[in-house]
Amino acid sequence: MIRFLFKGLLRDKSRSLLPVIVVAVGVMMTVFLHAYLEGILNDSIEESARLSSGHVKITTLGYHENSSQRPNEYAVTAVDRLLEALKHDFPDLQWSERILFGGLLDAPDGEGYTRSQGNVAGAGIRLIGSDEEIERMDLRARLFAGRFPEHRGEVLISNELFKKMKLRLGDEVTLISSSMYGDMAMYNFTVCGTLHFGIAALDKGMVYADIEDVRNALYMDDAAGEILGFFPGNYDEKRALQLQEAFAPDGSGDEFSLVLTPMSKASGMDFLILYSRYAGFIIIFIFVFAMSIVLWNAGLLGGLRRYGEFGLRLAIGESKREAYGSLVGEAVLIGLVGSVAGTAIGLVFAYLMQEFGLNAGDMIKDSTLMLPTVFRAQITPMTYVIGFIPGVLSTVIGAMLAGIGIYKRQTAQLFKELT
Amino acid sequence: MLLFKTALQSLIGNGLKTWLTVFVLSLAIVMIIIMQGILHGWSRQAIDDAQRWELADGQYWCGGYDPWDPFSLDSATASIPEPLARQVEQGLLEPVLITQATVYPEGRMQGVMLRGIRPGQQLLEIPTAVLRGDSMGPVPVVVGAFMARQLKVKLNDEMILRWRDKNGAFEAVDIRIAGVFKTAVPSIDNGVLWIGLENLQAMTMRQGEANILVKSEAAEVIEVEGWTFKTVDKLMEATLLLVKTKSAGTSVFYVIFLLLAMLAIFDTQTLAIFRRQREIGTMVALGMTRGQVVKHFTIEGSLYALLAIVVGAVWGTPLIWYLSAVGISFPMEAAEFGVPMADVMYAAVTPGLVLGTVLFVFVVTAIVSYLPARKIATMNPTEAIRGKIL
Amino acid sequence: MIQKFVILMLATTSLLPAQNFPAGKSILEKVDQNMSARTRISVSRMEITMARGSRTIEAKSWSEGDKNAFTEYLAPAREKGTKMLKTDRQLWIYSPATDRVIQISGHMLRQSVMGSDLSYEDMMNDTPLLEQYSAIVDAAETIGGRSCWVVTLTALAPDVSYHQQKMWIDQERNVPLKIEMYARGGKLLKKIELSDVKRVQGRWFPMSMLYKDMLKKGEGTRMTFLDLQLDTALPAGIFTKASLK
Repeated sequence: MIRFLFKGLLRDKSRSLLPVIVVAVGVMMTVFLHAYLEGILNDSIEESARLSSGHVKITTLGYHENSSQRPNEYAVTAVDRLLEALKHDFPDLQWSERILFGGLLDAPDGEGYTRSQGNVAGAGIRLIGSDEEIERMDLRARLFAGRFPEHRGEVLISNELFKKMKLRLGDEVTLISSSMYGDMAMYNFTVCGTLHFGIAALDKGMVYADIEDVRNALYMDDAAGEILGFFPGNYDEKRALQLQEAFAPDGSGDEFSLVLTPMSKASGMDFLILYSRYAGFIIIFIFVFAMSIVLWNAGLLGGLRRYGEFGLRLAIGESKREAYGSLVGEAVLIGLVGSVAGTAIGLVFAYLMQEFGLNAGDMIKDSTLMLPTVFRAQITPMTYVIGFIPGVLSTVIGAMLAGIGIYKRQTAQLFKELT
Repeated sequence: MLLFKTALQSLIGNGLKTWLTVFVLSLAIVMIIIMQGILHGWSRQAIDDAQRWELADGQYWCGGYDPWDPFSLDSATASIPEPLARQVEQGLLEPVLITQATVYPEGRMQGVMLRGIRPGQQLLEIPTAVLRGDSMGPVPVVVGAFMARQLKVKLNDEMILRWRDKNGAFEAVDIRIAGVFKTAVPSIDNGVLWIGLENLQAMTMRQGEANILVKSEAAEVIEVEGWTFKTVDKLMEATLLLVKTKSAGTSVFYVIFLLLAMLAIFDTQTLAIFRRQREIGTMVALGMTRGQVVKHFTIEGSLYALLAIVVGAVWGTPLIWYLSAVGISFPMEAAEFGVPMADVMYAAVTPGLVLGTVLFVFVVTAIVSYLPARKIATMNPTEAIRGKIL
Repeated sequence: MIQKFVILMLATTSLLPAQNFPAGKSILEKVDQNMSARTRISVSRMEITMARGSRTIEAKSWSEGDKNAFTEYLAPAREKGTKMLKTDRQLWIYSPATDRVIQISGHMLRQSVMGSDLSYEDMMNDTPLLEQYSAIVDAAETIGGRSCWVVTLTALAPDVSYHQQKMWIDQERNVPLKIEMYARGGKLLKKIELSDVKRVQGRWFPMSMLYKDMLKKGEGTRMTFLDLQLDTALPAGIFTKASLK
């Protein structure tokens, strides 16, 4: 039966080609929209996760409660062992240790005395021997001059501070900060590159160094201010809350006990997450709804224009039920073929959009926009199925509605419509 | 006119199918208007909030005032020079004095920015009236909701404030949280403590001095040495750019929604032409030129857009009105969000936006209607009557 | 008549205490005489209580008058070799690990020294008390079995860090045993308790001091002199930047 219907579809192009194309185009658009929506709505959330909050963040209780002050005296210690345990217990998560610090950067004159100084906010992240954090924080796009640290003791500083302190690449600078124990800590760095963020707060005085250097500098051996955890895909609130439960404090109020904070509980993120879910749901719902109407209408039209054919078929002895069944069967085939084709093409476009993205800089001609903002699609498991809702369901429902006419009308009347 | 009438008749005669297409098209139009409206509303709200809470009609900055460098504050304050001082007296300018300080809620030490403002000011929405207080008891201060959470304090909580005056001498008093306000402007909330201007001037021994003068609309901009006037546009530059950047990404949605509607039109048109070959043949046989027939079908297609505009206006107007007047609310503490955003978002829909969208959709619909109709021109009327062409 | 006289007597007595107490100025002069040596070489230990437990820092200092001081840290290991030079209003720090001499200025001076309750500025503030404050003795009290004058010092100039100080000065030894520092509004900001007063080269000296920031929760910082030499010759050129490296 299916083979028969399929052959019919293949041989009668007018019966098959246009509906399949319409379904495919509609499904393709749905798939692409879904991936794009996922991409740009998650983008802000994921960017915050990658830059500062992680999907989850492990700190000590004391650090968590004073997090605005970057209190490294409450750093997590015995990090290596902790990371090992985390990797063992949650093998699918990626963990990233970071140290945030504040301090003063001092550039020497020829004799090693202070020539210029600047306030800095810094981060120690893994930069040497791994590209993971560079990719994660999209630092490559922010690199303004020079290169990333390749050797110990190299540092990246924001371009604005670099100019203010009248530095050159390769210059030696000294960081003065306070150690985990509250001492004044001094450490020499060589400036190997500069960064541009396009965000005033960061451009005024941000430094990035390899975490091992920062550990040396601040006497934080095997310690880290915070450990960020990343899920394999997007932020997953349910999973994050489960993890939070697993790390629930023992109630002792010990300032050095570990706590895990889901990013939704990090300041400001709750709003963004809620907003994105809300907006995303509404847009995709309306679109799928509209697309369903279009494809339903297409199915309806497709069915209606074949009333004549059905008249003939009924006249030569086919039962109404059989005729109706074949109409619906055809619609299922058209829907499936169209949806598969549409999903495939949609995924190709979505993939291209995911890999290459759309550069905002090209869209708005604004020279002050130094930081490239690229809009990317993101293919999620849902992207693979979403197209089938309008694609199959609507086409079939359209055909079913159109087919009701077969029952309602007389054979002779249907036959008359044959052209 | 005749073309228009017959086109409209054949369209409406098609019943449900026509109305479905019309509805989808109206959906696309209304959605595009709403999405643009929300984004437009967002950026307008960002400016609006900033103006109501922080910028008013712009600010004069004293000397090397740099909001990002707290250590520059001490050197970026001065007595208010004469022409400006008169405007201050008239309430046309609101002086703000800023200094670094330390608070000790429950013995915890935390650095803050102390901002002095006149309790009687009407220019900004910060609830400064409670800063008057009485001369006895702790000095009243107001904080934003986010700051209150950071400090872990509630209304009427007391704590010690310590600062250094102009000469570097330490000074400390008890302060009382006399007000907590909720704002979508983080820069006047996060890390900031608001206090009476005269209090702060006396406390820091900076009588008559300020770092910033906030200008009201009624005040004229005066060039004064040592003070630079910054317009709202200038001060909002970064935020607006961010909004603009984020908006750019959503234009893809408009395209997709429009494509959706066009798919509906194209599908309907193609099928209509396919099904009505005999009609087309008859029309040509009766003496209409092919061009006229193409025109007929193009107009018929474009009529979808007209009907969609009417239908969209019927159901879209109340919806858009609701989104503009009542807005979409979010049950959250919005000030925590790094970008200014209120917890009620309003769509800002202008006549220009509606007209532009409607016109654009109409033109695109006409083009999409024309494309399948072009085929008619190649038809042989006799064969068309027999329905043998496509 | 007699009654009136008695009342007058009583009234005058109640007005009199100021006359019974010595002049504040003379007390401070005596303190200065006792404690200000021309030069001073000391080895001190500082105990700081932190979130992560307490730490002990040892340092050797050379100072001359009120202006110049040079400090070299001896312990813990990671501070060893760090040197600090103060001349007049400038502060320089040398760290052996970086081999750099850094000038500490502006707001950096307000930061705490090694996480203690002392700021660099506190350490730099050395102008003789009499130049900064007027002094009035307003009571006599006993601290730890020692009779003390309670002296209230009020800043003469507006640029003094603490507007008012209250000192409990040992009447016999001319050594302060307790110091309280107040803000202009009268709030107590810092407290120093001095103890373990010993005789060093004919002068009385408190060998132990407990600094406490009164606004902050915490134990405070204890500083103890392990060794103290007064009026000894100092190495030449010690108060130059060259001696830092």
